[in-house]
Amino acid sequence: MNAEMKPAKRQGKCRMTRRDFLLTSGTTTATVMVLVNGGTALAQEIPAVIATYPRKFITKLSDLKVDEPLDFDYPDEGFYAESMIVKLGVEAGGGIGRRRDVIAFNSWCTHQGGPLAGTYKADTKSLGMCPFHLSTFDLTRHGILISGQAYESLPQVLLELAGDDVFAVGIFGLIFGRSKNLLS
Amino acid sequence: MATTPNFTAEIEIPLPPSDAEVITTACDYCVVACGLKVYRWPVAGNSTGGPEADDNAFGENFPVAPLGPWVAPSQHNIVRHEGQPHHIVIIPDKDAQVVNKLGDSSIRGGLIAQKCYNPQTPTRDRLQTPLVRIQGVLQPVSWDFALDIAAEVGTHVLEHHGENAYGVKSFSYQFIENTYAITKYALRHISTANFTFHDTPSNVTSTPGFRDAGFDNFGPAYEDWMNAETLLICGTDPYETKTILFTQWIMRGIRRGQKTIMMVPRRTAGVAFVEANGGLWLDVALGTDLLVINAMARIIVENGWEDSEWIQNWVNNKWESSSGFGQGTRNTPWQWRTTWGTFQTNGFDDWKSWLLGQDEFVLENAAAVAEVDPEKIRTAAEWLARPEGGRRPKTSVMVEKGLMWSNNTGGTQAIAALGIVVGAGGRPGQVIGRAGGHQRGGVWGGHYPRNKSPMKLPGRRRRALDTDTWLLAGHTRLAHCIGTTWIQSMCGSQQLDQRFHELVLANPNQVRSFDKQEIIDTLKARTDSGGMVVFNQDIYLVDPIGARYADIIFPAATWGEDNFMRANGERRLRLYNQFYDPPGEAKPDWWIIAQLAKRMGFDGFDWQTSNDVAEEASPFSRGSRKDFHMIKVAAHREGKTLHEKLGEFGTTGIQGPVFMNADGSLTGTVRLHDTTLTLPETGPEGANVFNKKLTQFNTQTGKCNLQKSPWSLFSDYWEWQRPKGEELWATSGRVNERWQSGFDDSRRPEISRRWPENFVELHPDDAADRGIESGDMLMVYSDRVPSLRETTLGIEASDYTFTGQMEAGNVELTSAAITGVAMVTRHIKKGLIYMDFLNTGQPANALEGRVVDWVSGNYNYKIGVARVKKIGVSPYKTTFRSMSFAPRDIT
Repeated sequence: MNAEMKPAKRQGKCRMTRRDFLLTSGTTTATVMVLVNGGTALAQEIPAVIATYPRKFITKLSDLKVDEPLDFDYPDEGFYAESMIVKLGVEAGGGIGRRRDVIAFNSWCTHQGGPLAGTYKADTKSLGMCPFHLSTFDLTRHGILISGQAYESLPQVLLELAGDDVFAVGIFGLIFGRSKNLLS
Repeated sequence: MATTPNFTAEIEIPLPPSDAEVITTACDYCVVACGLKVYRWPVAGNSTGGPEADDNAFGENFPVAPLGPWVAPSQHNIVRHEGQPHHIVIIPDKDAQVVNKLGDSSIRGGLIAQKCYNPQTPTRDRLQTPLVRIQGVLQPVSWDFALDIAAEVGTHVLEHHGENAYGVKSFSYQFIENTYAITKYALRHISTANFTFHDTPSNVTSTPGFRDAGFDNFGPAYEDWMNAETLLICGTDPYETKTILFTQWIMRGIRRGQKTIMMVPRRTAGVAFVEANGGLWLDVALGTDLLVINAMARIIVENGWEDSEWIQNWVNNKWESSSGFGQGTRNTPWQWRTTWGTFQTNGFDDWKSWLLGQDEFVLENAAAVAEVDPEKIRTAAEWLARPEGGRRPKTSVMVEKGLMWSNNTGGTQAIAALGIVVGAGGRPGQVIGRAGGHQRGGVWGGHYPRNKSPMKLPGRRRRALDTDTWLLAGHTRLAHCIGTTWIQSMCGSQQLDQRFHELVLANPNQVRSFDKQEIIDTLKARTDSGGMVVFNQDIYLVDPIGARYADIIFPAATWGEDNFMRANGERRLRLYNQFYDPPGEAKPDWWIIAQLAKRMGFDGFDWQTSNDVAEEASPFSRGSRKDFHMIKVAAHREGKTLHEKLGEFGTTGIQGPVFMNADGSLTGTVRLHDTTLTLPETGPEGANVFNKKLTQFNTQTGKCNLQKSPWSLFSDYWEWQRPKGEELWATSGRVNERWQSGFDDSRRPEISRRWPENFVELHPDDAADRGIESGDMLMVYSDRVPSLRETTLGIEASDYTFTGQMEAGNVELTSAAITGVAMVTRHIKKGLIYMDFLNTGQPANALEGRVVDWVSGNYNYKIGVARVKKIGVSPYKTTFRSMSFAPRDIT
């Protein structure tokens, strides 16, 4: 656990750390293992680059209002970095805050790159339909596809809470258009 | 929290290097068959493409633009090619100019790389060797061992129990080479009437009304669905079930102002999109489509909105109906099925007077039974046919299983008639056809021996043998099942399952020996004692047909593991190239059948390659909608094989029927029944054949038969089924994210996270009445599943109706019970539940009545009832990793 997380813990607030997120999301270590050459004699597991994501301040938790998304860029300012954070008002997988209801996602459809910014639906806590091919995503459930054609869940931006400060610290899932999440 | 293992999200993928091989194919799944490209490069050498355009096979800089050749992690795999490990990336063909233009694909086809066998993935349980059940356990054996036993038992059954004791239940679509080999074996050589395809209990048409009217099911071109000004879609949401037909064609039409009407009881994403863009949703109650269709037809003729010029030119009148030395309407299939006078008319005026004489088609009456707002029905009728400023709308009609499999004969007769009077059919943008389910990969290698069927209809005609009833009655001694679950895909499936158990496992003759001859003798003894032996060919071990009942398993090679041909829903033929090695000893179905046939002493099975089979099948495609014979003629002229020649057409393929031009080049057929098409006055040259269906309809005169569609032929069954007490209508169908039984989807972590179990959609009001919330575990059950005991027998037509069969004591009521996860949702009509139709573990078709449509002989798969109660809470209710309970109609 790194130094930035400690203040939050001292305050005894409910929050989801990156490590907790990865654990509850099915991996067994804090480092995502990528299988290279799977199925072959050359198969080997190498640590993914998750540890090198920037830690970026996004907003004050207290500034978030239920069902009012904020846009931000992450993990860089490059193509498809546009992301959104929203306080859902209901508990969500990977959520932070007292009710574990604050989550963040990349804003580009993992089908063919349709823009999802501005498509948040308060009644269903979802993004979409995508203007390209109508995919919709459930923000309470790690961005899983509700209905549609996307090849992957929507990449979830991992959040950390330090006091009242919300930081983006990683991304779970490959961002559309990129061959790897970190361009440099 | 650990409800779903295998959930890790990858954040980097290997790009194909610029020297990667590129192999074309098409998707294995739905009828649309999107063009795909396989990028293949060896693992050895550790070469991977880079994000710069010069460094990858796409020639694109990463990040790519929207719609560009992005590679999702789920689109990469590692396979063996010529024994060596290779990377593959499979993405839709971004250069496609047909079908999936610019490389669109659904989630199903998009994830097809995960279909490929890789022992490091959940595909590791592919069948890899033949298996024989010894001491109750399926054990690996050699091909010779398994085939020798199978051939001996097969021959014994034919000699001692007759051809109809050898039952063959097969896919109809899993590539032309395989279906040709299977039907040649079953129909030309075994010559059994105990034969049918995966989606029907007997060898009958899915659309009797279309056949009688003269419509080919797949006449239209995809562009027609876009170019229609009004489009009526019955019994399907194409967005969910043939996605690219919707996203690339119908959606473009809607954005250009098409008025779209969808008649289905669920408001899924395509319906929601249609409504959001000014279209109409007719939320028809289960099984009542015929009433709504005829109510619309009635409004149209009452107002004189019918297409009189079209009807004048293209509908048979009284004399034309009887023309052709008795080969006109008098001898169309509906006469074979029924007594005289039930359907045929003397033309438009006769049909109109019949229509106006039926009270159930009065708008208010039909709307009340169908539970649809009458104003919406009236608006739909206006859109379909009312001229604006003296000009008619260009109207097209699309149908699929929600209509066809609710009231098989009546529904398809009604929609065919409506299509005719609104002028749908025969012109660009004015067409009528099926949307389709699976692809079209059938070529007949033999004729169905109808005269061997003991099943008949009132009058003189025999009906194709109902293989399920035949099996239940104990007449099938050898069940040879190829590439279908058989049991779960049929109606009343738990009763069928129980009978398999009695005939196979409860029989005392079970294999307890290591000795081949003793095994053969044991299986022969089982057939002689009234029991049944089961052969199963498939790519995975399926429960229960393979896992519980099969005595012998033949492991099949499939898509990507041999070269195959197949057509899509606009008759577009493509070569599906082999690009990797089949797992273990798995062999394509044509090869398995050939080895078995040769051992049984049948000639004509000496094929060496799949191309050999395709070339033999070629002349048998003549006259069909996918006639590809001229491709072979062209190929041989050029010193090529049929497969090589078709392969030159890449993902574009060519639409059947195929013709050769004077210069030796080939031309496809955009649409069938195209009355605007002009054929050369000199007629066909060389080996070309011009079939009537190119420019006319499939009837004696080439004109359409306009027919009646009486509600009374079906209403007794519908009234009997109608929910009583706490029952709800229970229906089933596909869900967008899964294909068929999920044989591949259940092995894709992302899809099995989305749909880990079968679901039970129910309306919030119905849920509240039963104290049910989303995520609750439900028991869905019925003790009112009707089932035919034996062959339907009778003298008068009325004896064959559901009422007649009930009175004759030929219908027994069986029970069914299925669990599922509650999905309380606004997108389903009140009074109805909906489940995934082919989930093998929680088989929804167990609830549907196992009573064939008495006119057509097909099942009405979509009609059933059930009671629903909460039995607990599923893990998905309170955890976040798996499933979603959000509605499918979010816009």
